[in-house]
Amino acid sequence: MVKRKLLAARVDLADKISEIASRKGTLYDYVNDVLEQAIRAEELGVTLKKVLDDRWLIKSARDAGFIMVPEKIFYDLTEDACKNIGKERLRKLWYETGEWYGKYYDDLDRFVDAVRKYFWDVLELTLSEEGEIVSLTCLSSKFSEVYTELFSNFLEGALDALEYSLEESEVSKGIIRMRFVKSKGE
Amino acid sequence: MMSRDDSREKKLIRAPADLVAKLNEAANREGKTFYSYVSEVLEQAVRAYEMGRSLKEIIDVYEILEVHRDAGTTAAPRDVLDYLIKTAYGKNSENLEKLWYQSGRWYGVYFKERFKDSVDGFVRLLRDGRLGIDQVIMKNDDGMIELRCVSAFLSQERTLLMGNFIEGAMHSLGYKTKEREFFRGIIRLTFYSEHSSSSKQS
Repeated sequence: MVKRKLLAARVDLADKISEIASRKGTLYDYVNDVLEQAIRAEELGVTLKKVLDDRWLIKSARDAGFIMVPEKIFYDLTEDACKNIGKERLRKLWYETGEWYGKYYDDLDRFVDAVRKYFWDVLELTLSEEGEIVSLTCLSSKFSEVYTELFSNFLEGALDALEYSLEESEVSKGIIRMRFVKSKGE
Repeated sequence: MMSRDDSREKKLIRAPADLVAKLNEAANREGKTFYSYVSEVLEQAVRAYEMGRSLKEIIDVYEILEVHRDAGTTAAPRDVLDYLIKTAYGKNSENLEKLWYQSGRWYGVYFKERFKDSVDGFVRLLRDGRLGIDQVIMKNDDGMIELRCVSAFLSQERTLLMGNFIEGAMHSLGYKTKEREFFRGIIRLTFYSEHSSSSKQS
């Protein structure tokens, strides 16, 4: 016989849980399952809230056409392509891909948020806005020199699609600093 | 099962004592009162229900997200990835297939170490969609596993590479390839376990 204890819960929550449980089976079994999952989340080092908050991440990344690939493979493919077909074509490809994502997200903050959430190899991406000027800093300890440059083209393409023109940029291995100005609509 | 507490704002819910003890420890670790910790847990259970999912399903998905993080993956825009693969594949298909196979081997070892049911964990990884596969059907018959993966957006080259990735993982999980069939967007692989009776028959 399993030993049982009583948990004090907020009335509104207890009622809601009771209502959900009635559709699934017994209250005891449902509460048991909920508590087991809370402990499982705890063992993964996160709270249930974070698990639920991050849930949309997977679906939205998939919808946006991102594929997870080991960093090493992706960087090596990029370096090889650069040697074989030249940097210019890749720069264009990354720029155009950035343009697509700029149009897809259609909002600067949403785009920056997506980059922060999906590109785990980006250590930091900061955005600051001052009137018409937008400054973007992207740091990664993993990017190669070539990959940093291509990633800057990606960011430039996205911001261009969001109607920000590049004014200044400083790109070196793992560091991208860019300054944009809001394009004046004709 | 549910009884009224003295306070009009609380109700008592019966739960297994061992789980209550573990939750109590968790609440202490987070510096929260047991009552507020339990409230948060129940709030999230209601939230999950309102999303049309169970907490288990949502944590299963999160667990796989953590696998991608641990594996050191990054997000690659699909068009860029396909272009890079197409460019490299013609000249160096063997090396690329080996790279994907080795990456699969790593995942296989990881699942073996971290998951109780490692094959189930790996299939969940394939199903979560982040590797670009839309549909995964698995048949498991006495140690013989058939995996059928389908995606309309999988290029010919990526189909072959994903096939190698899956083989690498399954080999690390203790399976050998029996049959393999790749067609653009469709991967069909059959594996057998060295320890199963069906492998003894074949």
